[in-house]
Amino acid sequence: MARLMAAPVGIAMQAVSKNFGAVQALVGIDIEVKAGEFLSLIGPSGCGKTTLLKCIAGLLPVDAGRIVIGSRSVSGPGGREASLVFQDFALLPWATARENAEFGLRLRGVPAAERAEAARRALAKVGLAGSFEQAYPAQLSGGMQQRVGLARALAVNPQVLLMDEPFASIDEQTRRILQDDLLRMWSEERKTVVLVTHSMEEAIYLSDRVVVLSPRPGKVHRVLDVPLPRPREARDVRASGEFARLVDELWQILKRMQ
Amino acid sequence: MKILALRGTSLVAFLALWQWAAWVPVSFNFPTPWATLLALVELLRSGALLAATATSLQSLALGFVAAVVIGVPLGLVMGVARGFGRVARVYIDLLIALPTAALIPLVILSFGISIASSAVIVFVFSAPFITMNAYGGVRDTRPRLVEMARTFGASWLQLFGRVVLPSALPMILAGMRLGLSRAFLGLIVAELLLSPFGLGKLIMTSRSMFEHDKMFATVVWTLILSGAALAVLARVEGRMLRWRA
Repeated sequence: MARLMAAPVGIAMQAVSKNFGAVQALVGIDIEVKAGEFLSLIGPSGCGKTTLLKCIAGLLPVDAGRIVIGSRSVSGPGGREASLVFQDFALLPWATARENAEFGLRLRGVPAAERAEAARRALAKVGLAGSFEQAYPAQLSGGMQQRVGLARALAVNPQVLLMDEPFASIDEQTRRILQDDLLRMWSEERKTVVLVTHSMEEAIYLSDRVVVLSPRPGKVHRVLDVPLPRPREARDVRASGEFARLVDELWQILKRMQ
Repeated sequence: MKILALRGTSLVAFLALWQWAAWVPVSFNFPTPWATLLALVELLRSGALLAATATSLQSLALGFVAAVVIGVPLGLVMGVARGFGRVARVYIDLLIALPTAALIPLVILSFGISIASSAVIVFVFSAPFITMNAYGGVRDTRPRLVEMARTFGASWLQLFGRVVLPSALPMILAGMRLGLSRAFLGLIVAELLLSPFGLGKLIMTSRSMFEHDKMFATVVWTLILSGAALAVLARVEGRMLRWRA
């Protein structure tokens, strides 16, 4: 089956506000994510970065403004443009790696043979080919579980990847490997990525732009461009002075906000 | 291997204690393990025990299957329809707290003295636990998994069938195991206090004829039966929940 690589699409957030009861979680968020861009959301806890991501995924309705992915205005979950990757992986513990990777396709009624093929391809893409396919999540390390989570997101061939602190609960060495693998995949597939993170190094290392949100209520505080050359995974970008300078700049922004 | 040795040792210790209790004696009629074993062989040979077992198992199967068939879906509905669940659980908690044997006169009035009324008691003993476990299983579904399925556009039916039900399965199965042990309890209570059939009747007649070794043998036999049934269920459970590494 020849698969057409879906052209990446942009995301437009226009004056997005979100309240939880009397608490204003997000106020007047305007962010334009370009097609194929890697954008990170960072900010102190309580700044609403995860809330914003859930709004983009349609899991939470916005109270004002609107979010448009490609040409479709988000009105609820289940849109085909975007897949979500979760911090706690959200794997079905009773399903094997392959069944987990197939899950999105299964829910969308894709025939068994086709979805097995797509799942296998997605698992290979994240480096989990072969015997791991039959393993249950409890038998896999955290890093491998998140690879399955990523495969599940990729298997439905989305144009947008929404990632909610995907590597936060994974040890440092594994995290760096996963970050490089993510960059490699991203440069091959040219998907639009919105990543929520609390790691400044991660935001700088991965992103084209970093959006800094300020807390209570969540607002766009600053947008930082990251002009580091790509492909970053092939060079020792982390060791460069420019990388250190950008991380420090991000730190100064966040520090002044406290 | 080590656990087997430990279990063997504890069995020997238990039998020794029993033997000692018979010697002391707790009562003149307290049968020794050996006498009990002989009585058990005798009862099996005469066919009395097997006939009683067949009768009892009918009530047990009838009551327990009904408890599963009604109890599990009820618990699932309670878990899905939260408002209904909050109301219904009060009555089920009451049923659990109630000394169930107190219901026996009521059951006699409604069902008469029959195998069916034993089955009703079995049902009342086991169903509340089965229902509460299914209810708890649904409620313990990780919201994150539901959220994940929704991002892929899962329908209500898909959420239930592919996320909620498999999530609840371990607790449903544990509830069935608990329910089965309660079912045996209910069976013997019913046959002792309500309708003189099966194993309960055998216990009562042996006692009234001062054949205490036979009475004990029947009790031991009942223990073997319920132990075996629970072991079978535990195996099925292990098979179905292989993913729990």
